[in-house]
Amino acid sequence: MRAAWIVYRKELVEILRDRRTLIAIGFSALATPIVLSIVTQVSTRTATQVYTLGYTGTIPTGLDLLLTSTGLKLERVDDPAAAAKRQVDLAVAFLPGEIDEYYDPTRQSAQIADVRLQVILGNYNAAKAAAALHAKGVDPAILTPLKVVPHPLSSPAAAAQNTFLSFFLPYILITMILTGGFSAALDSSAGERERKTLESLLLTPAPRSRVLLGKIAAVTTISLVAAIAAIASMFIALSQVSLPSEAGISSHLAINPVAVPVMVMVALLIAVSFSSVTLALGTLARTFRQGQAYVTPLYFITIFPASIILFIPDFNPGLAYYLIPILNAVLVLREAIVHNAVDWAALGVTTFSLVATGLISWLAALRLFTREALLTRS
Amino acid sequence: MTDAAVTVERLQKTLGKKEVLHGISFIAGKGEIFGLLGPNGAGKTTTLRLICTLLAPDAGSINVLGFDTRTAPSEVRRRVGVVTAEIGVYPRLTARENIAYFARLSEVIDGDVRPRVEAVLDRLDMREFAGQRAESLSSGQKQKVAIARAIVHDPAVLMFDEPTSNLDVLASKEIRDFMVESKNRGKSVIFSTHVLHDAERLCDRVTIIHEGRVVATGSTAEVRGAHRDLEQSFLNLVQVS
Repeated sequence: MRAAWIVYRKELVEILRDRRTLIAIGFSALATPIVLSIVTQVSTRTATQVYTLGYTGTIPTGLDLLLTSTGLKLERVDDPAAAAKRQVDLAVAFLPGEIDEYYDPTRQSAQIADVRLQVILGNYNAAKAAAALHAKGVDPAILTPLKVVPHPLSSPAAAAQNTFLSFFLPYILITMILTGGFSAALDSSAGERERKTLESLLLTPAPRSRVLLGKIAAVTTISLVAAIAAIASMFIALSQVSLPSEAGISSHLAINPVAVPVMVMVALLIAVSFSSVTLALGTLARTFRQGQAYVTPLYFITIFPASIILFIPDFNPGLAYYLIPILNAVLVLREAIVHNAVDWAALGVTTFSLVATGLISWLAALRLFTREALLTRS
Repeated sequence: MTDAAVTVERLQKTLGKKEVLHGISFIAGKGEIFGLLGPNGAGKTTTLRLICTLLAPDAGSINVLGFDTRTAPSEVRRRVGVVTAEIGVYPRLTARENIAYFARLSEVIDGDVRPRVEAVLDRLDMREFAGQRAESLSSGQKQKVAIARAIVHDPAVLMFDEPTSNLDVLASKEIRDFMVESKNRGKSVIFSTHVLHDAERLCDRVTIIHEGRVVATGSTAEVRGAHRDLEQSFLNLVQVS
């Protein structure tokens, strides 16, 4: 194993002196807080934004107060249909016993204003009906024959926190592992051929399997460093965001204790297996650029299904789905974050899948690394 | 001729669909500069790659200092140092780090790495740029790094594959001087080149390969024969073959 250690140390030194890799790691550390900051600002702005409601006719008594207190600014218009296209976000015509609503569904502001208007009108109608019933001596409870009493099993704040983490954490972790080691893996494989050092390296008595092992270990290390940098910066950024809790005491986003070891294990498995995959593809390439052409599609093929799943919160797949690399990592991680529990069968299949992927790739890389064509084709 | 350092017998090799070597044989002796000569595409580089175990022969055998390249490739690699025309160095390592890396991979024990590297730096007059990253070195300086890493484990057989093809006059002279110095230190030097003039000045014995076949072998004087120089001799041999 001495040869593997020698190669590992040398690769790390070279990688850490490579501007491309340092930029990738630095970018991953900076990008996460920046993205989160933008997302938070956009969300806050969307929630507090005042939208303009154009109207004609006479506003029912009391409704104007309700509308303005819910972030809808009233503005009298001549033609509500025309005004709803550009002049205002939403327009209504108050007619006797009816409200005609005009809005353009392609405008996000119109959609949000419409939701607010519907909520207010629902409450207004319910209050009016209740008052009318009360005036006639009828219990307004007749309007709600089945009263729903909610008993949430976790606090709304915790639920929101888990939803947020289950969306961002797997995505950031996996993206940074795949992209963090990307440049290092190609430099370590295709780069050897491009700068004509491969022949000298293979001339040494060091077994090729050990040389490859050293390279994979170095790329894995860098992938994990990039992922840790991204996750750490994410938590630092989130620690600045206060969340309201039931008792009125603010809290910060925190990952549950079960998710931490699962995250570490999944990160390690992905880093090792995909370092092998990238090195195998890089070994096929004669230049760094050619390596990029081979590896980039792989990135999209693996990350795409995982990204889609993130948008389906209640996706409960069978065990067979856990055989798909990356997708399985996202599912296992999400389970641990949202439910604070480990599905051992799913984790077992995921581990098998990622280990098998890494092993097959390692054998492929070794086979490529020992082919005579590696030298003669260049 | 002195004892054999490298013995090549009926060597055959096909790369892709092209039969590159058609059963060549020669012997390079200990303590001599042996020239492997021929035009580009003759099969010189393939022969050297077979000797240093980067490629495996389809037929025939190669013996390096008593070790067969098929059955004991690691033993062969420990005893061989190769300098190629393509000066590949790790750009983000310093010259010293490049050499030390190959010393360690060539199984120089940890305590010996530093003194060996420093000795090689002195021998090749590399002190001035030893601490510079390889990406900032000139071609001649990079070639010195390539030589240093090939000799840092003190191999008994040194092989030079077109070592001067990318170098200027001064750097080329340094390489030639180094080959002579290595011979004087008792090393076996195999010098592959298509520059017959260089070979004539340096080599004790030569083998000329043309289209994967040996067309002449013997001492430099024998191969030159009655011709004015090796080049004339080579042209004559090629026309005959």
